[in-house]
Amino acid sequence: MLSQLRKVLAASALSFVVATAAHAADKHKVAFVPQLIGIPYFNAMEAGGNRAAKDLGVDFVYSGPVDTNPVDQLQIVQNLIDQGVEAVSVSVLDASSIAPVVESAKAKGIKLFTSDSDAPDSGRAVYVAQATDEGLGTTIIDELVKRVGEDATIGIVSGEATASNLNAWIGFMQKEAAAKYPKLKLLAPQFAGGTAERAAQISGDLMAANPDIKAIIAVASSTCPGVAQAIETAGKIGSVIGTGYCSPNTARSYLKSGAFGFTVLWDPEQLGYLTVWAGKQLIDGKSFEAENKIAGLDKPATYDAAKGILLLGPPAVFTKDNVDKFNF
Amino acid sequence: MSAVRQSGSGVFSMNGREWSLLVACLLAIAIFSVASPHYATQGNAVTVLRNSIELLLIGLGMTLLLAMGGVDVSIGIVMGLAAIAIGRILGADGSPFVALVAGPLVGALLGCVTAAVVVLGRVPAIVGTLGLLGVYRTAVFALLGGQWLSGLPSSLNDLLATTVLGIPVPALVIAVAYLIVWLALRRTPYGLHLLAIGNSEEKARLSGIPVIKVRFLTFVISGVLTGIAATFYVATYRNVETSIGSTSALDAIAAVILGGTSILGGRCSLLGTVLGVLLLRILQNGLLLIGVPSLWQPVVTGVLIIGVLGFEAVSNRLPLTRFQRAPA
Amino acid sequence: MRTLRNLQGPALTLALLCALWLIVIVGLLALKPSVFNLGTVTTILQFSTILALVGLGQGMVILAGGTGIDLSVGGAVSLSAIIALLSLKLGLPPVLLPAVCILTGAMLGALNGLLVNGLALLPFIATLGTFFVYSGVALAVTGGAAQSGVPGWLLVWGRGVVAGIPVPFLTLAIPCFALAGLALMATAWGRWIYAMGFNERSARLVGIPVDRVRFILYALSGALAGAAGLVSLAWLGSGRPNIGQNLELESLTAAMLGGIAITGGRGGVGGVFAAVLLLVTLKTGLLQLNINTVWQVGIVGALLVFVLLADRLSQRWRS
Repeated sequence: MLSQLRKVLAASALSFVVATAAHAADKHKVAFVPQLIGIPYFNAMEAGGNRAAKDLGVDFVYSGPVDTNPVDQLQIVQNLIDQGVEAVSVSVLDASSIAPVVESAKAKGIKLFTSDSDAPDSGRAVYVAQATDEGLGTTIIDELVKRVGEDATIGIVSGEATASNLNAWIGFMQKEAAAKYPKLKLLAPQFAGGTAERAAQISGDLMAANPDIKAIIAVASSTCPGVAQAIETAGKIGSVIGTGYCSPNTARSYLKSGAFGFTVLWDPEQLGYLTVWAGKQLIDGKSFEAENKIAGLDKPATYDAAKGILLLGPPAVFTKDNVDKFNF
Repeated sequence: MSAVRQSGSGVFSMNGREWSLLVACLLAIAIFSVASPHYATQGNAVTVLRNSIELLLIGLGMTLLLAMGGVDVSIGIVMGLAAIAIGRILGADGSPFVALVAGPLVGALLGCVTAAVVVLGRVPAIVGTLGLLGVYRTAVFALLGGQWLSGLPSSLNDLLATTVLGIPVPALVIAVAYLIVWLALRRTPYGLHLLAIGNSEEKARLSGIPVIKVRFLTFVISGVLTGIAATFYVATYRNVETSIGSTSALDAIAAVILGGTSILGGRCSLLGTVLGVLLLRILQNGLLLIGVPSLWQPVVTGVLIIGVLGFEAVSNRLPLTRFQRAPA
Repeated sequence: MRTLRNLQGPALTLALLCALWLIVIVGLLALKPSVFNLGTVTTILQFSTILALVGLGQGMVILAGGTGIDLSVGGAVSLSAIIALLSLKLGLPPVLLPAVCILTGAMLGALNGLLVNGLALLPFIATLGTFFVYSGVALAVTGGAAQSGVPGWLLVWGRGVVAGIPVPFLTLAIPCFALAGLALMATAWGRWIYAMGFNERSARLVGIPVDRVRFILYALSGALAGAAGLVSLAWLGSGRPNIGQNLELESLTAAMLGGIAITGGRGGVGGVFAAVLLLVTLKTGLLQLNINTVWQVGIVGALLVFVLLADRLSQRWRS
């Protein structure tokens, strides 16, 4: 019985192994490691990466953790380095996601760089940015003030408390509010983790706690559905505006129902493209120009040599009027 | 152990733990009402109740499982899988009535799968369901293909957010579910058998109770209740994300334990579970309303578990307690 | 086949684990021979260290029976790392960081022991409660932000490699397992633990200090979690408040896969060690083959179910 079991197991393991024996081409390899897989945002980046890989003639590897767990992410990065993937880009959970492997990557001549979420001072080769953290934080506050006035109460619902890029955006929101709109009341950020259920629960509680609340910002894309739903369920469409960094596909029905007034995001597909392009440049040993015209992108990408940031461009604002023009 | 402990004979007759939970709920409500002027409003009460629906349904099933000396740590992901089925039907503009059936059906099917491993395979429930947790999670990712189901039509919500004879449908569903489970537990041989198995599976088997059948059935019942929870989840949030249900199992176990059901089996309180869920939600909501950051909510849950059960243990300690510990 | 049939319990599990491990290695070898170098070994051991330490504590607690389980290990890892770093900021000399980290863990574990012994709470309930508390407090006091301030000399230890073996694994994980294995096999304490797990009532009747042993085991599990927290600090260079996320389930998987019976009294730490290496090798292999990470959780879960069923079948043959 056991021997049969072992035979079956061995056979299945073998077939599984053969089935996955993929192409062994000699093309250059560029990898991207997201913060976690299975969310639309990073899927769009993957799609962009694949498009770029086709255009530029490189292999693109997309692999990330199933939970926002730094050790899992580090393990994936380490394995890509061990495999000898020439350029590895990471959307870091925080600097510790790559700090232990920066040296070994350098020793092997592997280009390790960040994309989407940065680890400054880690020794990364470049940071491919969708927009500056500052731009993201200020845009959402400025756009909100246009709609709710300078003396409104605004709630913030984020995802994981440990996501350093989300926390950076919140920091710039608070800075912008303090500097430009002293009467604006920005409530302390609340953290909902990754499920729509918790985001809705917390948004509902926030609205109950602050009857004068005028807007709720969904910082993590995973909190967008929950925030919108809480506003709809509470019957506050019109009196509370939802917003956040949500992709048009996720936010479309909420923008149309009026639960969301607008959302702010860049095109993650383009960011994925730019990431792979940057990886190819690094492998080829080419440097970045101050302004880089790239065939597969709508707009040229600017490079800030002092900070080592390659910038996609300013974020876009989606409203119910323009949301149908986008599909990501 | 002595004979099966039953809490009263009527649907609403209450034991000590249930009384103390009720008092705790009322006390919490009283304190929050004084502390926050926005607490005691109709809108907030609706918010709290709305946020309890899924956990109540999952909790009822978990009560039966624990009373039987079992447990299911994969139950949240079962809700996720059922939600995917419902979401796919709604997403394809299917009839909301078909979607209504899909949730409990998928839940029942997965209950069968879990029972096949745990009951037929005679594997300890906690470890068996831990293994299945991994398998189900992979299934969620694979089925969703990394994409969320977003912007689902509100046809199901239109059906469930109504009232029948002035009673909201969710309240009605929960009342009916409660009544059915209560009747099964207190008025049928199944209930007696379940509690007997919880007391001692060996003795139950020797006295001719169809142990396997009863245990199998209980996993299926829990699956069906979870499928109904998934129906409400999708109807309300109109979104299925890859992280769906990731915290539900531990939350449900916490609520059931608070409610006075013994994880060693043999002691069971449905009313206690309901009060346990409500107490958790009342505290989470109220603390946020008086300005305690949401990050402290798990701490409150933990302190509550240790406090309530520790207090009970101290107040009715028997010299024999430790000898009575049976293997899980 | 007869010899295999005669295997039972831990021996069978070990044989199974080794067979599975060989399958993984052979599969990898067939597909990607380039994987086999010293670097891969280093990687595997590096990522095994934290899980090995936590899994050891978890395994010992379960082994002692009395429905023993420690669901709080992940929270204890996070919280001891955070408390140690925060106490540096309050003026603690950095030299004491390792001691504080492990001591904090031991205290968190001792609290579990107190709840289980003193209040006679079931371990599942007590540690579920402290799981919420420990992991919640670690997040809440930091607001989720990673804490910096790990001294440089600690990084040298945490990231060092000697002869292809990561220093923390060499100096912490291996000694801990060796000591635990030795204690279990060759000391009275070891016999007591097995006796307690096998039949607690008889153990009490023959005069084994069950409560004291159990308290020490929970404190030990906490101390090992603290040590794992220390490894995370020394390796990552910062204290992350959610570093122990999922470790409770992973360590439970490792202990069960390693052949420790959930009811206690059966199994050994060698199995846990093998299980940890198998789990990490499997993950590494799948990553090296660029197989989507979503399959990892499913394969590990299926593996756990498979090993349990195999164990169950072997018992049936014998009876």
